[in-house]
Amino acid sequence: MSRVTAPPPVMGGRMRRGMPVEKPKDIKRTLSRLWQMTKGSRKGLGWILLLSGLASGSAVLGPYLIGKTVSLIDERSPAALMLWLLTAAYLGDWLVHFLQQYLMAAAGQRMVYQIRTNLFNYMKTLPLGFFDKRQHGELMSRLTNDVDNISNTISGSLTQLIMYAFTITGVFIVMVLMNLLLTAVSMLSVVLIYLLTKTITRHTRKLFRQQQQILGRLNGHVEESISGLTMVKAFSQEEAMIEEFIENNDRYCEVAVKAQIWSGYLMPITNVINNLNYVLIAIASGIMASKGSLAVGTITSFLLYSRQFSRPFVNIANIYNTFLTAVAGAERIFEILDEEPEPEDVPDPVELTRPRGEIIFQNVTFGYLPGQTVLNNIGLHIPAGTRVAVVGPTGAGKTTLINLLTRFYDVDEGAILLDGHDLRQYRMKDLREAFGVVLQDTSLFGVSIRENISYGRSDIPFEKIKKAAVISGADSFIRRLPQGYDTVLTQGGAELSQGERQLLSIARAVLMDAPIMILDEATSSVDTVTEQHIRKAMLTITEGRTSFIIAHRLSTIRDSDLIVLIKDGRIAEMGSHEQLMRQNGDYALMYKTQMGLV
Amino acid sequence: MKLMLSYIRRHIGKFLTALLFLSMETAADLLQPTYMSFIVDNGVKAKDTGKILEYGAIMLAIAAMGALGAVMRNIYATKTSQQIGKEMRLDIYKKIQTLSFENIDRLQPSSIITRITNDVTQIQMFINGTMRIMLKAPVTCLGALILIIWRTPGLIPMIVVILIISGFLIAGNMRLGYPRFHRMQKRLDRLNQVSREFLSAIRVVKAFRAEEEEEEKFRQAAEGLAAAGVSAMRVMAVFGPLINLTVNAGIVALLWISTIQPPAEIGRLMASINYMTQVLFALGMVSHILNSAVRALASSRRVEEVLQEEPAQINHHGELEIRGNIVFDNVSFTYAGSAAPALENISFQAHAGEAIGIIGPTGSGKSTLVNLVPRFYDATSGRILIDGMDIRLIDMNILRKQIAVAPQKALLFTGTIADNLRWGDEEAAMEDIQRAAEIACAAEFIAETEYGYDTLLGQEGVNLSGGQKQRLSIARALLRKPKILILDDCTSALDATTEANVLQGLQREMTDMTVLLISQRISTVMKADRILCLEDGKVQGFGTHEELLAGCSAYQAIYNSQIGQGWKDRTYAGKAGAVYE
Repeated sequence: MSRVTAPPPVMGGRMRRGMPVEKPKDIKRTLSRLWQMTKGSRKGLGWILLLSGLASGSAVLGPYLIGKTVSLIDERSPAALMLWLLTAAYLGDWLVHFLQQYLMAAAGQRMVYQIRTNLFNYMKTLPLGFFDKRQHGELMSRLTNDVDNISNTISGSLTQLIMYAFTITGVFIVMVLMNLLLTAVSMLSVVLIYLLTKTITRHTRKLFRQQQQILGRLNGHVEESISGLTMVKAFSQEEAMIEEFIENNDRYCEVAVKAQIWSGYLMPITNVINNLNYVLIAIASGIMASKGSLAVGTITSFLLYSRQFSRPFVNIANIYNTFLTAVAGAERIFEILDEEPEPEDVPDPVELTRPRGEIIFQNVTFGYLPGQTVLNNIGLHIPAGTRVAVVGPTGAGKTTLINLLTRFYDVDEGAILLDGHDLRQYRMKDLREAFGVVLQDTSLFGVSIRENISYGRSDIPFEKIKKAAVISGADSFIRRLPQGYDTVLTQGGAELSQGERQLLSIARAVLMDAPIMILDEATSSVDTVTEQHIRKAMLTITEGRTSFIIAHRLSTIRDSDLIVLIKDGRIAEMGSHEQLMRQNGDYALMYKTQMGLV
Repeated sequence: MKLMLSYIRRHIGKFLTALLFLSMETAADLLQPTYMSFIVDNGVKAKDTGKILEYGAIMLAIAAMGALGAVMRNIYATKTSQQIGKEMRLDIYKKIQTLSFENIDRLQPSSIITRITNDVTQIQMFINGTMRIMLKAPVTCLGALILIIWRTPGLIPMIVVILIISGFLIAGNMRLGYPRFHRMQKRLDRLNQVSREFLSAIRVVKAFRAEEEEEEKFRQAAEGLAAAGVSAMRVMAVFGPLINLTVNAGIVALLWISTIQPPAEIGRLMASINYMTQVLFALGMVSHILNSAVRALASSRRVEEVLQEEPAQINHHGELEIRGNIVFDNVSFTYAGSAAPALENISFQAHAGEAIGIIGPTGSGKSTLVNLVPRFYDATSGRILIDGMDIRLIDMNILRKQIAVAPQKALLFTGTIADNLRWGDEEAAMEDIQRAAEIACAAEFIAETEYGYDTLLGQEGVNLSGGQKQRLSIARALLRKPKILILDDCTSALDATTEANVLQGLQREMTDMTVLLISQRISTVMKADRILCLEDGKVQGFGTHEELLAGCSAYQAIYNSQIGQGWKDRTYAGKAGAVYE
């Protein structure tokens, strides 16, 4: 075989002509990584191994004793001793199996738990761009379905595998001791099973991977259509959605059938090989016994052993197949673990405790997709304590500016400086703590209102929470709720109006009491009377702090120190309200339009 | 269980075919030891090599038959179970589409997702198992027992005892296992819920450095699931080995009896022992498969819950042409599970073709009010009439076909821009789509994207700003050419100029549409024919801008908060204008 530098295909074997060659992913590596992940949950595994060894011991002992007993009965000799031994062996067998499975239940689940939390913990370090590109349901499928697949394998198959290895060795030794020729006959079936497994798994691996992929997509579609059910119903798109679902569903079914049928061949065919083996031994031992070179009891033992010998091989072949589903799941998990996390903090970061809030944008250029710049060469100097308002047409890049400031994304070119240092020189943790942010997306959680406001921090006294709610104007509606601040948002906030959700988001940011405030369309759905209250309160809060406000209602931002108008990714106008009105450019036009003056 | 049977019944032909092949396979397994005993008793004892080879040949033929049965059984069983799983998923999905929001709220979205994927998979695995092992095990068991009894009738009492004990063990396993697996699925729901929340709130999580809290939440959910899993698996660990022990005890007893009364033919005893081990493996399989049986039962209960959910709304079928007269007649509405009404005694009328502005403080019930028109929810008391007809008597599809909604939070789906717009009208020509996009001021930014109307959107697509999403959602609504257009504060993320352009375009389009226009901006609702002013779910005033300004204090307050300063600015702007003109 000629091979270049590429790693040898683990599945090995000759590639049959005309067969599509799926580039083999490295199974060994996947498995060893999986093994690494279970570090810390391997306690008790030694016991389980020991018990598995004992269990296979009793599996070897049973038939041997039965054979002896049968021979004794055949010779009409007393067999009581053998029967007692047999009874003892079975009792031991029971105890060992019970203990082993009992321990394995905990060990298996603990490993799954570990893999799952590891995956989640890693996921949370990934940059926003990762989440923006993926369907939520698809990621959820990895956290549940794929991890479950691994779980089934680990708790179900691993111990069996170990047990079978012991059994095979044990039985093999006994068989060789009993009769060499019959052992050779038994080996024939092993070779056949090996060849069969190799052929079949070549197909199933690829199929299992596809199956998990499509399952993820199906999950993604379901999640999306449930999240957007209002629109589905409003536009009577039920039929179209069902059609799309059917498409995914059919595709899933098709691949799953293929995968199952291929892997399903394994069991029956190996079983047949097994039966074949049984027949061959029956004939061979029958002839030998008829010639008097073999005791009848040995036939019994040997037949039982031949079953016991090939059964583990059948099962190993089968386990190997389930193993492949697990590998498919594991590969999808490692796909996430191989994603680049948010950039690590620089080796010796600059300390950041309550920054003054001087911010400089130095020729900042950025685009979400390569080749499509959203912000182009932005230069801006914001002295500490300035109230900045960012305005501009939709899609101009206002929110992007905020995304860069909070390092949800990093600039492509140029730099952003906070208190004289590049943002990237600070610890991510310190940096984000310096910002109190109210985002366009109002995300609430299925916990109490109170916990929603104090989100991200525990041990906040109730007075502070309440005060933040009063400032943000949320207090009045909260008090009208049946359980007030303890009302649990069972539907994750869907039961509140958009305006109320915004008020809670503001309260959350107020409570954070950060040196720099960012309000991105924070009050767009709040009524103007409430908004005025908020604005007044905000004026006191932002006193002496650097703040960024993005708003379309220009009435909200009039009293900002600096208004920056962004258009097509560039700064078009900049100055105070009065200055910009005097310039009589785009801002003045926008303002007049909104006030109904033109 | 009934649920699974009803699905199996649909594929009874294939199901039975699979069972037929399964029996063939099983029979082959069962016959082998009998022929083996013939080899021993007739061949070996008689030292007849010819007989040995003859029986050997028969055994090979039987093995071949078994192989055929096994392969065919595999194909049929797989196809049938996957087909059933597919249909079950589809049925749940279809059901969800018919449910009202009240049902969905109650079932919890993340739980529905678990049910449609994970629970169905459990059931599917079980049904597949039924056709490969579940039935094979009892059949093997039964066949082996019959053969033992036939060849050694003296063993009947012992076998009865073994069966009774095994039966009790299996029943105990089911009893203890079922609630544990049910709990496991529930914990899986919770895990899904936590990860779903995390994913949709990722920005807030990162901004507030709440990664550790989320980690803790997830950790607890995962731990809960693991604990439930351990407890379920331990039930299996207790019962599985016990069943094995029972059968092994049978083998010992069999041998014991044989030592007391040695059988005439040793071959028979060997066959009996062989059969006993087959019983052992069969029962072992049963206890193994119980795992999935009990799990499937727990899952099928959860699937049934969705399928049996009655839509909270009744739908009348019938044809109707709507002109767009809307009457709210003393309408009150309370959300399920909430004590205070969201709307109280709302009465007003919108004439066909009229534009009604709706304004009011945050949480005053504006969105709730418009949500009643397309029957997302039904009024708790009072009636809503369209063209004089109670909307509860109108076919929901027809009703919704004549209504278009542009919501506050623009929801777009994975797919291209054109796909998303076509929701309004599947057969819309490209010109119509472009026109709608132009009116909604979306055409410009669409043209700027690399692939134009074929740009991929949604969770996997490019980043659109909040305002761009809103404009797409307006274009989608317009494409529908509805009789009733609901604009639920859908311009909140637009800059003033764009908003003015959009509203102007709409006014041109809106001539024969009844429009319900929610906004926070007085300048926006001012353009409507009449304005409904809400506060705390009650009507504070209804009339033209001038009428309300004169007689409605709530409206005056809003007006003062916005235009009040505007007045000051008007003078200021006037001055500024004067300077530069």
